[in-house]
Amino acid sequence: MAYAIKKPGRTVADQSYVVEAVKGLGVTFKRFFQNTIGPAENRKTATIRYPEESRDYPERFRGVHRLTHRADGSPRCVACLCCSTACPAQCIYIEPAEYEADDPRHGYERYPRVFVIDELRCIFCGFCVEACPCDAIRMDTGTHVPASWKREHFIFDKETLMSIPGKDGTYVTANPRHEPGDPTHPGLDREKAH
Amino acid sequence: MPTFKLDGQEIPFEPGDTIIRAAWKKGVEIPHYCWHPGLSIAANCRMCLVEIKSARPMALPILAWDEKKKDYVETTKNKLQPACQIEVTEGMEVASKGAAVEKAQGAVQEFLLLNHPVDCPICDQAGECKLQDYWLAHQKKLKRKDTEPVHKPKAVRFGPTIVYDAERCIMCTRCIRFCDEVVGDHVLDMRERGNKNEITVSPGRELDHAYTLMTEHVCPVGALTSKDFRFKARVWFLRSAPGVCNGCATGCNTWVDYDPRYQRVYRLRPRDNEQVNKFWMCDAGMMTYKRFHEDRILTGRVRQEGRVVEVPRDVAIEASAKVLEKSQRLAVVFSAQHTNEDNFVLGKLGREHLGGTALYLAALSPESVPGGWKGDAILRHPDPNPNRAGATAVAGGELRSTADLAADVAAGRVDAILSLGWAAGESVEQLASLANVPHVNLSSNIGPLTQVATVVVPVATTAEASGTFVNAKGMAQQFQRAVNAPLGIKSAWETLIEIGKRVGREIAFAKLPEVRAAMPATTAAVAAAS
Repeated sequence: MAYAIKKPGRTVADQSYVVEAVKGLGVTFKRFFQNTIGPAENRKTATIRYPEESRDYPERFRGVHRLTHRADGSPRCVACLCCSTACPAQCIYIEPAEYEADDPRHGYERYPRVFVIDELRCIFCGFCVEACPCDAIRMDTGTHVPASWKREHFIFDKETLMSIPGKDGTYVTANPRHEPGDPTHPGLDREKAH
Repeated sequence: MPTFKLDGQEIPFEPGDTIIRAAWKKGVEIPHYCWHPGLSIAANCRMCLVEIKSARPMALPILAWDEKKKDYVETTKNKLQPACQIEVTEGMEVASKGAAVEKAQGAVQEFLLLNHPVDCPICDQAGECKLQDYWLAHQKKLKRKDTEPVHKPKAVRFGPTIVYDAERCIMCTRCIRFCDEVVGDHVLDMRERGNKNEITVSPGRELDHAYTLMTEHVCPVGALTSKDFRFKARVWFLRSAPGVCNGCATGCNTWVDYDPRYQRVYRLRPRDNEQVNKFWMCDAGMMTYKRFHEDRILTGRVRQEGRVVEVPRDVAIEASAKVLEKSQRLAVVFSAQHTNEDNFVLGKLGREHLGGTALYLAALSPESVPGGWKGDAILRHPDPNPNRAGATAVAGGELRSTADLAADVAAGRVDAILSLGWAAGESVEQLASLANVPHVNLSSNIGPLTQVATVVVPVATTAEASGTFVNAKGMAQQFQRAVNAPLGIKSAWETLIEIGKRVGREIAFAKLPEVRAAMPATTAAVAAAS
């Protein structure tokens, strides 16, 4: 059933628009002076001056991958292929190899001769980090993949991945562990005891 | 056949069978590490403990908590016995499940893992390791020992092919028993006791007999690893196709393990066949997979003014058609390396359509195998060709050797050659006269025959095509294609039909079963049966 709606009454001040326009300009100027004059901490802008300024990503942000280092600078990765197995985008390619018998790192046995991540294919799900039993691959870099105009620049090889530091600026992992060959490696062996 | 009851299921057995063997024959697995159907019984892993309910139970006095008396009371429990060692008797009742057995299995599993390094990411056995499988099936909880495990030597070189890791070893002694019982070479043994126990090689020796890779294959955990396969691939990426070994006339049944992503074969494993190879294969046989990828011929080759020029496959087929059209006295060379189907279509084209009457067989001789070839009483047949019997049967009688062919060419009795395969018992120098007549060769790899040919057409290897071999015992065995042939390359019989079309001879086979159906009854009948 149709019924009539009563129009709200308008005063002369409303009708002239002047008062409301001045009120609105007041807000604009308040913000303008607040954000341009005076100390930076008082500013209440929603925007930042990118790229000069950037915001920190949250603690758990999954950034570009990195490969952590051992104390001797070799990759912690043992090329077990768990990350490439878990990867739903199939963007990780690894070729395992063995340290030669005369290499001081022979005790680690296995290492990645080739470790490549196609960052264009990666969906940043973090499954590789979850799957890694050695904490060798991490996404705690706090940064994303830098932009580029060439596809090849997104193919990150082992050297590139090892050159990216973590958020704390180091190349090591937060979860160190004893590894064969470490002087701190506990337990018995034929040389030490029995 | 008498039967016994395993977990309520009636299982038939032959007199003398142990519980585990009878169950294994029926396809029921009782968890085990040290037992292997082809080896003697050691009963040292204790993983196969079962409860025998019938017969006189072996009672163990124990103290059990009595809820009513609020005290321990003296009672007995049924002693569990290893299923690998106890012979089955008629009507026996066995439980391989249930609280008592499962507790024992979990405890044994925990014990075996007490000092295990659990370095599964590094270990090559990950993905096919019984410790992993049984942990999930029978333990599923962490070990209670929280001290550092006992460390033992890692990555010890046992010989040219095998690396040993003492920490991962569970002392099942399968490798020792394999060397003793199958190979008859007591090169491995154990030393020390308890948690210092490890496998050693006899002083002054290396693990270097002809079956060393089998020790790796029988190892249920990652203690013995093959240097060849080590760190090359992960088994969960591999698929398996049933194959037949190309190494000799025994024709051992294999699993061809390949990576479907890269279309590459990574290893061969023995496939159980009681009549042919039981559970075993020799090192040389397991290494034949390398030939699938090494020394391949991937393009056509045509000899022009003494130089070999690589040409597209189509051009090579065109050139071979020209050679075959002109021929009056064609020599047809069958191959002991190629399948019955390939040889059959070769005969069809060479003899029936092109009128070739001089028939030969290209086969390796023991001396021509790189590194030499010697047969033995275990598996290795003195003849290093997988299909001499099949090729001879398909050709319909005894064939002359490639040495005879060289003599016939020198005497001018032949004006063109159509040959299959790369193999020959003679060297390139001995076959030099073959280069004097136009020679069409279909081959997958480089070998003496390809080097003296005028035109070489590339064909698929046995991993890239299905087919049938007949072994020295006269058994025809089929194998399946594992990987795809490189782009454009087809199996030899398909290529021969293409060449036939170019010379205007229609051979009406479109599919492999059609070729098999047309083959002589003797080979075709056995082929169908296997």
